[in-house]
Amino acid sequence: MADLFRSVINIISVFAIPLMIAVFLGWGFIKKVHVYEVFVEGAKDGFQTAIRIIPYLVAMLFAIGIFRASGAMDLLAMIISPVTNLIGMPADTLPMALMRPLSGSGSLGIMTELMKTHGPDSFIGVLASTMYGSSETTFYVLAVYFGSVNIKNSRHAVPVGLLADLAGMLGAVFICRILFGI
Amino acid sequence: MLNYIWIFLIAVALLVGAGKDLNDEVRNTYQNGVPLEVTFLSPQIPAGSVLRREGQFYLTANQFNDFYKTTSQHEEVKQPAVISLSADGSGTFIFSSADATPELWKRMSTSASARDQLTGTVEKIEFSDDKSWAKAVILLEPIRFVKLKAITQAAIDFANTAVEIAIGLIGVMALWLGLMKVAEEAGLVKVLTRMLTPLTKRLFPDVPSDHPAIGAIIMNTAANMLGLSNAATPMGLKAMEELNKLSPKTGTATNAMVTFLAINTGGLILIPATAIAVRAAAGSANPGIIIGTAIFGAGCATLTGIIASKILQRLPRYKKEMPEEEKVAKEERHG
Repeated sequence: MADLFRSVINIISVFAIPLMIAVFLGWGFIKKVHVYEVFVEGAKDGFQTAIRIIPYLVAMLFAIGIFRASGAMDLLAMIISPVTNLIGMPADTLPMALMRPLSGSGSLGIMTELMKTHGPDSFIGVLASTMYGSSETTFYVLAVYFGSVNIKNSRHAVPVGLLADLAGMLGAVFICRILFGI
Repeated sequence: MLNYIWIFLIAVALLVGAGKDLNDEVRNTYQNGVPLEVTFLSPQIPAGSVLRREGQFYLTANQFNDFYKTTSQHEEVKQPAVISLSADGSGTFIFSSADATPELWKRMSTSASARDQLTGTVEKIEFSDDKSWAKAVILLEPIRFVKLKAITQAAIDFANTAVEIAIGLIGVMALWLGLMKVAEEAGLVKVLTRMLTPLTKRLFPDVPSDHPAIGAIIMNTAANMLGLSNAATPMGLKAMEELNKLSPKTGTATNAMVTFLAINTGGLILIPATAIAVRAAAGSANPGIIIGTAIFGAGCATLTGIIASKILQRLPRYKKEMPEEEKVAKEERHG
């Protein structure tokens, strides 16, 4: 069942982009849109948008980068671990949960390390990879998306993003404990 | 809020980094200035008065742990090294950090004078009769401020990474924005948005249901779920641009933007390909076992994000920053 689901999704993923190109341009051509001119017109914005996000991305990534380099994550994990022990979340996976919203490459590194130490099919290995799949890198998305339209006042976006991450991590612990619990 | 988190990350990083370096200094974690007795294994027969010999520094795990007062080393140390000796018996050595290098030496080498290499002086060396090994006393170069050096390096590296990411986006951005423009002109986006109007009307009540923003949001979400991140980001940025056109106050996030961001950061993806690939590489018997659990986790995150965005937007402190509803109401009266 899971295998069937996986192969169906994989096939859709492979066909999605060629299909979109064909349908978008084909439909446009039939509707007598000047496809080439309109494409170029739209593509012009690509450069501007990408350049616009640079200052936001530098501000965000540099702060996260030095935070990672300082080793403060271990300290933070140590402070929070009594709370997470109560809900049955292994202390080893706590840095993973804390890193996930901050840095994609950082959490990828932690996940790989955990699998090397504990094995990919151990409870910790399964939980860490579930956590990795349970959320996006909130602060990266925030910097890129808001940066692209020069938004400086993010209002409730940060608390919303962090609540979502918290729910994702707790959800991962909950479902892994039920299905693969020790 | 972002202000506080940003300054928190930076302040904590600097404080913890400085604190750890101070701790290292007080406890002399890297045994600066303390000579280390090692066995130097070198099968080559030397020639000439100035000797340059390749070989290995050999230490048992216990010797290493006793010297550095740790318990981190579990295997015997066999570190390839090159020593240069002059006639009077004094000399220097150098070795590169490699996979088999002890973790502690690896860490030390990151802030050594030559990057990823450790150097030092040979205080004393006595060769065996057949010259194939020697008892040596070495002194490693002093290692200081490991964390502060790492922080400096990270600040520069990540600033560069940010620019690389942005520059890397230009091509795919241009491609997808071009395709989206054609789809928009052809009226294709309208067809797509009409199908999902019942859902999008509830999620984004402030956005007219046939607005191009809705089309971009739908396509972004679909691309994200399929794991097509190359296509998802340009569509997401297009959605932000369209949402920004509806904003009465530029520079401030609207309710619709925050809800859209919540859907994105929830990261609902049907096949968590990266996690599966790492699991497979680590030798998992069943790499795909996490598909279901990851969908559950991401579902929790997405749902919570949407609900939280709807609740928090009503709080007075966030409401007063975006006079959205008042403005819409006023326009209706005038119109």
